Amino acid sequence: MSRETIRQLLVVLAAVVLLPIFVRHAIATEIWIFAIFGLGLNLLMGYTGLLSFGQATFFGSAAYVAGYLLKYYGIDIFLALAIGIVVGTVSAAGVGYLCVQRSGLYFIMLTFALNQMFYFTAYQWTTVTGGEDGMPGIPRPSIFGFDIHPPLAYYAAVAVLFLVSLWIMQRIVESPLGKILQAIRENELRAEALGYNVPRMKLLAFAVAGAFSGLAGVLYAMLFGIVPLESIGFVFSGNVVFATLIGGSGSLYGPVIGSFVFIWLSESVSTMWARWPLLLGVAFVIVVLFFRGGVVEAWARFWGWRAAHRAPAAAQVDADAPR
Amino acid sequence: MPLVKTELLTKSFGALTAVKAVTLEVAEGSLHSVIGPNGAGKTTLFNLLTGQQTPTSGRIIFDGRDIAGTPPHRIAHLGIARSFQRTSIFPTLSIVDNVWLAAFARQEFWRGLAWRRADGYPELTRRALGVLDEVGLGDKARLPAREISHGEQRQLELAIALAAAPRLLLLDEPAAGLSPDETQKMVALVQKLKGRYTILLIEHKIDVVMSMSDRISVMHFGSVIAEGSPVEIRRNAEVRRAYLGGIAAP
Amino acid sequence: MKIPLLVSQVLNGLATGMLYALMGIGLSIITGVLNIPNFAHGALFALGAYILFTIMQLVGNFWLALLVAPLGVGLLGVLIEYGGIRPLYKAGHDYQLLLTFGLSLIVTEGIIIVWSPVGMSQLPPPLLRGGVDLGITFYPKYRLFVMVTAAVLVLGAWLFLEKTRYGAIMRAGIEDKEMVSLLGIDIHRLFTVAFALGCGLAGIAGALTAPIRGLNPWMGVDMLGIAFVVVALAGLGNLLGSIAAGLLVGVAQSLVALFWPEASVAVIFAVMAAILLVRPQGLFGIR
Repeated sequence: MSRETIRQLLVVLAAVVLLPIFVRHAIATEIWIFAIFGLGLNLLMGYTGLLSFGQATFFGSAAYVAGYLLKYYGIDIFLALAIGIVVGTVSAAGVGYLCVQRSGLYFIMLTFALNQMFYFTAYQWTTVTGGEDGMPGIPRPSIFGFDIHPPLAYYAAVAVLFLVSLWIMQRIVESPLGKILQAIRENELRAEALGYNVPRMKLLAFAVAGAFSGLAGVLYAMLFGIVPLESIGFVFSGNVVFATLIGGSGSLYGPVIGSFVFIWLSESVSTMWARWPLLLGVAFVIVVLFFRGGVVEAWARFWGWRAAHRAPAAAQVDADAPR
Repeated sequence: MPLVKTELLTKSFGALTAVKAVTLEVAEGSLHSVIGPNGAGKTTLFNLLTGQQTPTSGRIIFDGRDIAGTPPHRIAHLGIARSFQRTSIFPTLSIVDNVWLAAFARQEFWRGLAWRRADGYPELTRRALGVLDEVGLGDKARLPAREISHGEQRQLELAIALAAAPRLLLLDEPAAGLSPDETQKMVALVQKLKGRYTILLIEHKIDVVMSMSDRISVMHFGSVIAEGSPVEIRRNAEVRRAYLGGIAAP
Repeated sequence: MKIPLLVSQVLNGLATGMLYALMGIGLSIITGVLNIPNFAHGALFALGAYILFTIMQLVGNFWLALLVAPLGVGLLGVLIEYGGIRPLYKAGHDYQLLLTFGLSLIVTEGIIIVWSPVGMSQLPPPLLRGGVDLGITFYPKYRLFVMVTAAVLVLGAWLFLEKTRYGAIMRAGIEDKEMVSLLGIDIHRLFTVAFALGCGLAGIAGALTAPIRGLNPWMGVDMLGIAFVVVALAGLGNLLGSIAAGLLVGVAQSLVALFWPEASVAVIFAVMAAILLVRPQGLFGIR
């Protein structure tokens, strides 16, 4: 492992260990859950160049299905997680299959439209999903006899799953598949000419993103003990896009950082003002206009600016080319 | 036995016929050039061969089998590789990755597709670096592809096609936009490839074509108006006429 | 099955279908010319309805309101394009799209702040209240009015695109922007006009809807999805296709509402998904 990788790993570990000291355990847990969600989206958005506006479909579907089984059938936690991942993957494969056949603009519109389909189904199927009221009463079964009801215990469990997810995603992006997806983002026609079945690769990326989303969905349901209708809605889809964007979609850790920023912002502001989505919208506009590379790029830009003003000679060396 | 031949290959877009009943044969190991003024249908011909477009009628026989209408992503697996007239690379990926991807695609089994580290395929990496050395980009392997000059990008364009270890190489104006010096280097490169690969070449620079080709087909308004050895073509009156309005013969 | 009920449902479907077609056409123009799916399209639809409401409250003149709503929303469209979308031209379509998404939140929340989070109702003008005896069934005058007006607007859009010089430029812009700018046409002005036109159509669709469905701040979200469905089925810039798709969706929805009211919204998307499974390029599209 390179020094750079070790350094990044230590930063992440430190964050995981230190976070609950500074932040309420439930919020801290939510941050890592959202980070898992964001990692999945980023495989599509950052690496493959597919802007999916319907990730909540997979997140919410997994939450509802696993939540239902947890609540009414008392399944054990590992089964719940497995089911969440499977539901996420399968729903993503289904949605993905319809979407990858169309190009860019249609693709985006379809992810949104299909998300709406799932949303309205959840909204109307009140007997199963509870409709507007959501599905409350989701239990949190114990792990090998350990009770994870205490917030810190659940935090630890989620943090471990996050670290595992991060590791898996890192393996994927550094694998041939990761390179193929990036090639598709850069030049789809050439990738195809090289011999790659582009729709199939995109579908694969979708399925993986779905798996991550599904895992996040189940964890979310067990965190709050309820599956709210919003978790399958388009605002939620927009949230994860925003978080990935603000963290910086070009890197593996971008969605992690973005999750921090987004959850912290939304949790602190939404309690103060019901019109929090207005600020989110404004933040969206500002980030898109001025901070497109997200926090990661802003940070790099800041350091570049500092270096230029500290030692003009040393500034000859371009520290880091963002993007 | 020609490695590839087309039989009355035709492509029409409504009233416009871009490729008209083109019949040509390329012997294995030879270098066959296709020349003609702009709009003669040369690139469309390539597109038909590589599946980017489907023929309206006619056959494409590769290695004894009719491959007309095969989708682009399967063409590579048949052993046909192409370089593009307008540089078509993966800009933010490193040069070696650009080439590595071409090599990886041709593997029989994609073992470890989503799991093994991309640099965990030593043989592929070796092949990729080898091809880069051959085109002269070996020392720039780790640079992002967009950071090299246009001339070097044309070399990369060629390297990507080579890395797929094809049997048939389709080169679409490899010297496009190159300075006289760079053109010379490119010509030397293609000369080295002769014999090892079967090459179908589109090129505007006549001196390049004349010096390298075993056979030349001349296209004009979608049809092949002449075919033969460089000497025969140089003497052909019809060819001279076609070129009066276009590029001058030497 | 009672025939009068069936007929009036079909008529309902045609009325809403024409509105869907209007939304689809507006979105199609924006998406076709600017290459971005306008995520604010639904919110602007809602805004049109609320502007109508306010004009009615202030002045009571329905016809004036029907004029001001699309103009107001169209004007906002100009501002959005000029101030937000154009600066992002170099950054790429994805960012322009994200901008429209952010704006959709701002507009929707803005509606809640300026007007009210609670739903409101809007009566049609006295002239259009009550029903008309069609023989088979008694049908609300206002809905007939909507059908006719939407049809006129669609016809107007068609005439503009097919018969006027600027319309031809716009259609060309959908096909090939590079060519259009090479012909010396101000491509940026084309973008502004296209965007404003699309927004205006959304605005008037919203204004027309208000007396049928009432107003609530999220009325636009549903419409956004439906507009996407219409465009996905019809293909960009395909005016006739948008009409066909819109009517198809509208009538399908109305009929389903007779038997299975809960599914009446989800069925739109299910129909779309089913069609796309069989024909990935949509009903008329080429890809």
